[in-house]
Amino acid sequence: LLYTIKFEGSKMGDMTSFNIDNGYFEGLVRGYRSGILRRNDYHNLVECETLDDLKLHLQGTDYGPLLANDPSPLIVQTIDERLKERLVHEFTHIRNQCFQPLAQFLDYMTYGYMIDNIILLITGTLRNRPIAELLPRCHPLGRFDELATISIAQSPAELFNGVMVDTPLAPFFSECVQDENDLDEMNIEILRNKLYKAYLEDFYAFCQKLGGTTADVMCPILAFEADRRAITITINSFRTDLLKDDIENLYPKCGRLYPEGLKFLKNAEDRDEVRRICERFGVYKDLYNGVGDGPNDKTLEDKFFEEEVKMLALSFEQQFHFGVFYAFVKLKEQENRNIVWIAECISQKNKNKVDNYIPIF
Amino acid sequence: MTQCISQCRDLDMSKLLRSEEMTLVQIFLSQEASYNCVRELGELGAIQFSDLNEEVNAFSRNYVSEIRRTEEMERRLRFFAGEIERENLPIPADYNVPAAPNQKDLIDLEATLEQLEGETRQINANQEALLRNFYELKELKHVLNSASQFFQEGAAIQEEERTSQQPKYDEETGNVPRHLSFLCGVINRAKIPVFERVLWRASRGKALLRHMEIAEVLKDPATEEEIPKSTFIVYFQGEQLKMRVKKICEGLGATTYPCKEDWEERRQTESEVDKRLEELSSILLETKNHRFRMLNTVVSSINSWIIQVRKVKAIYYTMNKFKKTETGLLHAEGWCPKNALADIDRALKKGAAAAGSGVPPILNTVTTRRTPPTHHRVNKLTKGYQAIIDAYSVATYQEINPAIFTIITFPFLFGIMFGDIGHGFIMFLAGLYLVVKEAHFGKRIKSYEEIFTMMFHGRYIIMMNGLFAMWAGFLYNDIFSLSINIFGSAWTPDYDALTNGSVINKEGMYGLDPQDPNQYSGNPYPFGIDPFWNFSENKLTFINSYKMKMAVILGLVQMTFGLVLSLYNYRFKGKTLDIYCTFIPQMIFMQCLIGYLVFMIFYKWFAISAASPEQPSLLICLINMFLQFGAEIEFGSNLYPYQRYVQSALVVLAVICVPWMLGLKPLIEHCYPRISQASYAPIPQSYEQFDNEGEGGASEGDAEGEEEPHSMMDIMVHQGIETIEFTLGCISNTASYLRLWALSLAHAELSEVLWTMVMQAGLSMDINPYVNPIAIVITFAFWATLTIAILLVMEGLSAFLHALRLHWVEFQNKFYQGEGHKFSPFSFQRVLDGDDEEV
Repeated sequence: LLYTIKFEGSKMGDMTSFNIDNGYFEGLVRGYRSGILRRNDYHNLVECETLDDLKLHLQGTDYGPLLANDPSPLIVQTIDERLKERLVHEFTHIRNQCFQPLAQFLDYMTYGYMIDNIILLITGTLRNRPIAELLPRCHPLGRFDELATISIAQSPAELFNGVMVDTPLAPFFSECVQDENDLDEMNIEILRNKLYKAYLEDFYAFCQKLGGTTADVMCPILAFEADRRAITITINSFRTDLLKDDIENLYPKCGRLYPEGLKFLKNAEDRDEVRRICERFGVYKDLYNGVGDGPNDKTLEDKFFEEEVKMLALSFEQQFHFGVFYAFVKLKEQENRNIVWIAECISQKNKNKVDNYIPIF
Repeated sequence: MTQCISQCRDLDMSKLLRSEEMTLVQIFLSQEASYNCVRELGELGAIQFSDLNEEVNAFSRNYVSEIRRTEEMERRLRFFAGEIERENLPIPADYNVPAAPNQKDLIDLEATLEQLEGETRQINANQEALLRNFYELKELKHVLNSASQFFQEGAAIQEEERTSQQPKYDEETGNVPRHLSFLCGVINRAKIPVFERVLWRASRGKALLRHMEIAEVLKDPATEEEIPKSTFIVYFQGEQLKMRVKKICEGLGATTYPCKEDWEERRQTESEVDKRLEELSSILLETKNHRFRMLNTVVSSINSWIIQVRKVKAIYYTMNKFKKTETGLLHAEGWCPKNALADIDRALKKGAAAAGSGVPPILNTVTTRRTPPTHHRVNKLTKGYQAIIDAYSVATYQEINPAIFTIITFPFLFGIMFGDIGHGFIMFLAGLYLVVKEAHFGKRIKSYEEIFTMMFHGRYIIMMNGLFAMWAGFLYNDIFSLSINIFGSAWTPDYDALTNGSVINKEGMYGLDPQDPNQYSGNPYPFGIDPFWNFSENKLTFINSYKMKMAVILGLVQMTFGLVLSLYNYRFKGKTLDIYCTFIPQMIFMQCLIGYLVFMIFYKWFAISAASPEQPSLLICLINMFLQFGAEIEFGSNLYPYQRYVQSALVVLAVICVPWMLGLKPLIEHCYPRISQASYAPIPQSYEQFDNEGEGGASEGDAEGEEEPHSMMDIMVHQGIETIEFTLGCISNTASYLRLWALSLAHAELSEVLWTMVMQAGLSMDINPYVNPIAIVITFAFWATLTIAILLVMEGLSAFLHALRLHWVEFQNKFYQGEGHKFSPFSFQRVLDGDDEEV
């Protein structure tokens, strides 16, 4: 018994042993968290007239001298880059020092960005864009050595055999190894969803294996992510000639909609049906509240983001788990989206929709 | 005559005791004069502006665009600093602080910076393009060079393949067969493994990669970072594979170069490349020189520019705190010391004159109920001690400032715990060195590391500590744990008896009898401990009793002094009630218990000698005073006649004090609320009167300073806590002062251990006449290092810490409130030192 307790303890750091390896990093990430902008910061940002005003205000926040070395007519792209740089800096600072299994957990977080980057590059090469132009647009958290050589791949199978086989993403390709279809837009989309499905399911299993509070916090978040993908896939597949079973194959199987909900979902024919299916599930009952095409209505995408932000923010209420790392990166991403959105509205002198950001705390 | 009087008033001692009298002032400035006026005030550094625009956003204040301009200038200056660092130019150390520029010069400076930045960036762009070209040519040259080797290897491989398989290739020595194509280039060395792996996978093992490290250091043309690179060659077959290889090269950032198979052609290209390289390097040299000259002009003035821009930024930050009035004037408000009013007025007039403004600045003093900030005037010596007090908490406005007494008591208590002439002297010398060289270090203080900076700021404290440690060392007669015999010991051992052993007792000791005039002269050693004790076996028992008693005496003196200071605070604030209900019972209580103990200590020293029949223990006496209240004192513990009655009276008195402290004040406040109210409001009600005169008055926060009538419950609880804290504290604080003894004992023992175990062992070594001196030198080095590291640094820190604690807790809790906020004037000096957090 003693042995099992010790093993459990060292395996996943519960209250007694979490801090041995991970306490410092949890402290760091909670410190970073307190730098996330508050509601009144956003109120002030929204009132800015120029991007220089925005810069001045950001100086008063945790961002401090973030933009100090950029000459004065600022452009939105610079802001976006600096914000990303900072997030990556904070993330790598933790990643470079931490121990297993946190390191593995953080790596899992980057896989999602890696998948996005792969898809970005493949789509880019399909449209004959030079790789040198595409590379800077890749998310820095998802960069890896082989990334740049993706353009040689013509089919998913080639992509796997030629490039991906040595990367940590290789297991996610298990369903695509035999796929010799040419990479056209549709196939790229299918590839992305297959990869994401495999990734999410694997990440979910990993969190379950970690157990403890991490599983308690992370599994609902990942389940939500899985359902979000399933719903999005369904909506995007309406006007395509995909077979129902093929669609079902793309749904990640770790969500709350699995298995019944997904069965209904694959047969859905229009948005209203999707809505009805969602409302049948307690968790997603309120999801469609306020969604619509009217001027004060929100898009479903924004609603999802809002819901996600709520869950992520709550994860900080518990201690001794890895969910805070995930939540921090995702919340910071949301914050970056918010700032960039506001900056975009300011630079285009169109403030009608400037309030469409999603406040975090 | 008047001068003399004002000088006398400056010397008034009570001014030192309390913080400066502050006053709230309003300043009305015309907009064109404001910059110059604030500039003068910044140089003066005597006024702390309050922010009148607190509710206004950072970017909608009056002078945002100006601040943005200064930030742009700072950015340019940072750019120059970076360029200068890249060029490895030394920035001359210039300790002159230039004045803030006036507005016209500022515009010139801005233009200069903009122009210089433009030019520098132009040169950089040129240089980068040239460098890129240059390194590309270099890479090509390396590719050509290594190509020969690659091809030779290639031939060898073919040779091998030919022998193992059928002859397949053409016979052309040194060159590759025609139908095998190849690609040469240069790649970042770190990417070779990936390159190899991807190539292998993508070609299914049908492409062959050879690579070679480039020994020469190649740099990134933009950042001039060194990047280790390798040349490579890839052999493959067929067009499709060629496309793939090209894509991989492109993806991994490898540059491919055209390379001919023919040796002759390669040589020709190489000589062309050499020629172009030569041309390029001369152009590059020219560009570099140009850049160097350019930066050299910046180097001489960059420090001065940085300071000027910082000052300007501080000015605009301050002006952002001002409010615009309807009449177009700027309204500023802030605290300043009363005696600086004239200086401020002068500075404002000077500023207005410099700006040529027709509207004279208006300076009004305002009466307010807001609590003024606490401002202590300090000099080089008192600064460190004031910092010690402020680190605990800043004094309430105009309460007695303990820093003044700390100047002496702090080193005194430190010395008691660190008493050793030798160690004290070394510490004194260290402090003295810093003090003597303070002008030298002071200028460069920013360039030193943190620990040295800390020591430098505490240089006077270190010096004083050393001095007092020496004094205490004389008291203890300790110098590196040895004693010195200055006045001649009072003890004379009977050496003859000692040699024949007749005086050695059963324990193998020789006891000296203080009552025997042959052995003890009867005149004690005039100052400090008799050196003879250093040889005695019972030295520790003797010294401990002495040091413990001294600790209690010093404790009582300092605590009583603290209580007396509380009397001064009550009197200053007009809290008569507190004098009768708090101060007097506290004083009686403390003197009845601890004061009586101290009295007994002195009495015993004077009245009890070795000849006395009774040798009472003071501790038992004090305990029995309570436990056997009123009982007859047994023989053997009687100090003086009627002791029993005196002690009983003291106990009764002390016990009466407890309800006195606890209940009287709440009772009076409850029955006569008006008396106590009046004593709480010493500030005259002239504010409303001022308000009626027009002119606005102080703008906000007046409610803060108003005293609310306390409820009965609050007073009871507060008084209860105070009483419990004091009565318990009386005992525990006295016990706490015993740390004086404990620390000094530890110090003495440690230094003795070090002496006997290290230095004495070395001195008594007897190996052979040639080795002995070396051994002594080595042991001395060892001993000296340990002395410095353990006894001076570590023990010094610990004694410092304990002295700090005794001041913060045991001394200051008797009188110190410490609820003030520090005066932080707008001053360029503080801005440049980085003390001002806002700018």
